[in-house]
Amino acid sequence: MTDLSSFDTRQRLRRLVETDREVASLFAVATVCLVATFALFLLNSTVTVVPLAGFLAATGYGWYAHQAETARALTFLATVSTILVLGLITVYVFLEALPVFQRMGIRLFGFTEPIELFGVTLIPSVDSYWSTSQHTYSLIPMIWGTFVTTLLATAIAAPLGIAAALFLAEIAPPLVRETVKPGVEILAGIPSIVYGYLGFVVLNQFFYQNLEMANLGSLFLVGLVIGLMALPTVVSVADDALTSVPDAMRDGAIAMGLTEWQTMKSITLPAALSGVSAAVLLGIGRAVGETMAATVILGHTQRLPDPLQDVFDNTETLTSLIASQYGNADGLHMNALFTAGVVLFVTVMILSIAARRIELRMNRKLGGEL
Amino acid sequence: MSYPTDSALVVDDTGTAERLASGVVGLGLVTFVFSLLGLTQIVTEETAILGVGLYDFLAVGLLLMGVATVGLGVGSRVGVFNTTPDATPGAVTAALFGLGGFVVAGLLASQLLGFGTLGWLAVASLIGGVTFVGVALAPEDIGSTLPPGLAAIVVGLLIVGGILTPAFAWEPEGFSATLTGSMAIPLALSVTSLVTMWAGAKAYEGYGSTGRQTAAYLLVGINAVAIIAVLVGLLLFIASKGVGPAFQGFSLVPFEWPFVTNGYSFRPEVINGVFPAIVGTIWLVIGAVITGVPIAVAAAVFLTEYAEQGRFVGAVEIATNGLWSTPSVVYGLFGYAFLVPRLGGSTSLLTGMLVLGFMLLPLCLITSREAIKAVPDEYRDASAALGVSQWETIKSVVLPAAMPGILTGVILGVGRIAGETAPILLVMAGGLRDDAPNVLGSFEFTSAPPFVANDALLQSAPALPYQLYATITAGVSAENATEFGWATAFILLLVVLSFYAIGIFSRLYFRRRLNS
Amino acid sequence: MTETTTQDTDRSETAGASSDSQTRSQPGAGTESTPETWTDYEFEGEPKMAVSGLDVYYGDDQALDDISIEIPEKSVTALIGPSGCGKSTFLRCLNRMNDRIRGANVDGTVTFEGKNIYQEALDLVELRKRVGMVFQAPNPFPKSIRDNVAYGPRKHGKVRTDFLAKLTGRDDSEREDEIVERSLKQAALWDEVKDRLDDNALGLSGGQQQRLCIARCLAVDPEVILMDEPASALDPIATAKIEDLIEDLAEDYTVVIVTHNMQQAARISDQTAVFLTGGELVEYGDTDQVFEDPQSQRVEDYITGKFG
Repeated sequence: MTDLSSFDTRQRLRRLVETDREVASLFAVATVCLVATFALFLLNSTVTVVPLAGFLAATGYGWYAHQAETARALTFLATVSTILVLGLITVYVFLEALPVFQRMGIRLFGFTEPIELFGVTLIPSVDSYWSTSQHTYSLIPMIWGTFVTTLLATAIAAPLGIAAALFLAEIAPPLVRETVKPGVEILAGIPSIVYGYLGFVVLNQFFYQNLEMANLGSLFLVGLVIGLMALPTVVSVADDALTSVPDAMRDGAIAMGLTEWQTMKSITLPAALSGVSAAVLLGIGRAVGETMAATVILGHTQRLPDPLQDVFDNTETLTSLIASQYGNADGLHMNALFTAGVVLFVTVMILSIAARRIELRMNRKLGGEL
Repeated sequence: MSYPTDSALVVDDTGTAERLASGVVGLGLVTFVFSLLGLTQIVTEETAILGVGLYDFLAVGLLLMGVATVGLGVGSRVGVFNTTPDATPGAVTAALFGLGGFVVAGLLASQLLGFGTLGWLAVASLIGGVTFVGVALAPEDIGSTLPPGLAAIVVGLLIVGGILTPAFAWEPEGFSATLTGSMAIPLALSVTSLVTMWAGAKAYEGYGSTGRQTAAYLLVGINAVAIIAVLVGLLLFIASKGVGPAFQGFSLVPFEWPFVTNGYSFRPEVINGVFPAIVGTIWLVIGAVITGVPIAVAAAVFLTEYAEQGRFVGAVEIATNGLWSTPSVVYGLFGYAFLVPRLGGSTSLLTGMLVLGFMLLPLCLITSREAIKAVPDEYRDASAALGVSQWETIKSVVLPAAMPGILTGVILGVGRIAGETAPILLVMAGGLRDDAPNVLGSFEFTSAPPFVANDALLQSAPALPYQLYATITAGVSAENATEFGWATAFILLLVVLSFYAIGIFSRLYFRRRLNS
Repeated sequence: MTETTTQDTDRSETAGASSDSQTRSQPGAGTESTPETWTDYEFEGEPKMAVSGLDVYYGDDQALDDISIEIPEKSVTALIGPSGCGKSTFLRCLNRMNDRIRGANVDGTVTFEGKNIYQEALDLVELRKRVGMVFQAPNPFPKSIRDNVAYGPRKHGKVRTDFLAKLTGRDDSEREDEIVERSLKQAALWDEVKDRLDDNALGLSGGQQQRLCIARCLAVDPEVILMDEPASALDPIATAKIEDLIEDLAEDYTVVIVTHNMQQAARISDQTAVFLTGGELVEYGDTDQVFEDPQSQRVEDYITGKFG
């Protein structure tokens, strides 16, 4: 018995080593080809196709001869490529922004007056916020614009969205819920350019006439439109979070003689807080990165509103800056647009990581591991 | 036998209070709906009901609501109505009413009475503070009915008394907008009617925890209905504007649909259409799916089937979430900096496909991973117990079982990228054209590397969302540009929302089948 | 009152129909040769709760078939039977938790201290305050131990410890501490948790969580406590603790407990009701009598393990 099994093991081992050697060499060839392809593509060479063909040939043979190993390697490759894509985005957007970072330094966030603290100049002033002729680029008006529109959008989408999710998840009769939920999910798909068109053609005029505004387009309207746009997403994600709270928890409170409303407020909503706040952060992320509505609605001026709190004035958002100026930009001007991209990218990345952190922490808390 | 309880198990409601309260709520709903219509200027001050101006009519209603609400509160306190109020309306209600008092008093003092900063702050704080303390210390029935009731009476009197008229105009200092009477009246009406309805709903249930629930349900319900109404109204509005121009010259037999089958010819006698843009969008989607989906599914397989939870998986998760939330315009910048110089040096259909493919990658990765995770382990165990290798198990058991979920994810992802405009702006562009891109017919083989070329891929192509943007920026030339835009928006909505609808309903279908 | 109007109409229908079913039904008639044994079950004092002619349907499926039973005060009543016999459904009818199940249709009368709890004017909140419930799986709230126990009294306005109360000098913190301590002591949990009242309740063991749920229920000061297999998810030691606890509780409270464990029912209950498949109540009487000398052959088969 022992003899047999050891013989069997040895046999299997030998076979494994043999195939392993072939597989290893195949992988080596494929890896070299792939790295060469990537390097040549980075160098913008027309002979990129040669190693690419080599890689395809190697994987093709591998698929035919050693499917399991090849499949595993390819799936690994695909996984690595997600990190690679993010890495490439980071590197290239940063690289393109670098010349303006070097030129402007901290003044990229400069105001027209120097920012001083206890007599020490923290941020030197800029002559004008955005001048392509002098190559002075300060992102302050755009950051303010993005901040204000995001704040307005969140103030609309978060409370109304959570309330609507409560209605869907906890109050609505099943029939209403089952029809409205898919409807809301479909509404989340309305492309932003459609909202933009509506804002441009209808709402801009409406606001101009009825609020007797000084100009077409305003941060207020952009915030309103983005808030409306983010609403279905917030509703749908928050609803998912609320429905994932186990019924046993609700029953516990109801059986003590609490009303359903009390249960919602003090049990269900806190228990679903991680998912609900993830929904809100998701909405904020969308608002920060929303491009088309802002581009179409705003009249583009790269200065701070005067006075600052005037949300009915025009300025620019980070996204609309890129979308409205890329067409006639080159050289440093184009690099300056990439700095706006960097600020956007970093902001959204922080939001995304924060959302993930909150979720993990709340899961741990709810799971009872303290 | 006696039971140590403070309230009765069976409550018989007093009819009068209930009828009065439901009257308040009903009147409030009418006022609220009409004032919302007034805000959107669908009805205006010129609209007349029973020979009375609309706003006067609503204001009288509000006045009645206010009186009834105060009556309900006082009646409950003096014991005319049989109610079970709590000791206090609660800190939140008190704080909100206090805040309301602060804002209203502050606005009145600073803007209408012309107080300085110090003056209006003092007045507002005083009024707000008194409201807060008053409400907090009052019993629930008084504390939650008196403030809204009084507010309703005051607003009603202001409008009926001709102080707040459509001619009213208030330009707040520091804002470049004017609050005109035609906006201010419906705004004031809608806010006060909401708050008064809330108080009425509380009184309907005799206060207490049940009263708070009914009142809250009323507001939450109104909110949900309003959201759905606004969004659906928006869709219907676009449809109403777009259907006409989109179906101009439409006939079923012989089949003719010029808007969808024509290009943009710049000739006045031919109906301009979006055929090239539709074809462009289709090619974009195909290219993005070929780029993004295989990588996404393969990565999802690796993450769920092969990888152990650890640093690497953690890094991939962070990368996926990062890609998922990266703004689309940043993808555009990336394509502009990385892909455009390496793929022909100008904006092209190919770069558009690749960038949208990269955007599709995280969307599909997350949904595919969920779908593969949802395949029960019993399937894998059963297959492994038969001596089938891991890859065979994945290929023949796991992937087929997860396929509906993966497909749904792909459809939803496609819906999202098909409507994307910002990245296309930077990497593809392409304006109004008469002819559609001919991708299949443009392949050519060359002797020099890269040996294969395709002009259509390396040129800009039109796409639906970009075309809509182009309509806005270029204004097109003709006077019917707006109609053309509405029709484009309608077709775009139709395409994108169909993807969403198919994705969502197939997900529902498969989920239900899985559960049963 | 808490529900929407549609349900209100449902309720009035059931309330109306109940009077008919009372006159119509001769409980258990025809199904058993000796049905009178359990209707004749006599005890001293008033019944705390009485059920007559109770039918429950889930959609088209009948879960309970014409149940009539009277539950004496300050005692332990055990409901036993094979799974799917409707004993949990019956339990959930006693505090109207069945209202929360979609498609559940209740027909018949359930009275609490002589008042029909399925009538339209009933205050559900008040009913559930007086008829508490402990569930099969421990379901503490994701809050601290103290917050879990004080949750009910706080929400019912018995103690006020919020910011406003502190501000106006009506702070009830001491009273709350008393309630927390008393309830946890009653639930035999005080000694184990007194030093960590502010820890998250989800960090407790399963048995401790279940006793916390009992303490949470006691803090509201109910008169009846319904327990739905409270020990089924616990290990033997935790189960023994819960059983001791239930026997102590019967001195002050009326306890109705569902169990599928016949030994448990025999150990702790004063009277036992046996449900069998199809939602029938087959036998009800003194626990000793039901277990030692069952009147019906089916109950004997079930108890001796021949079926079920």
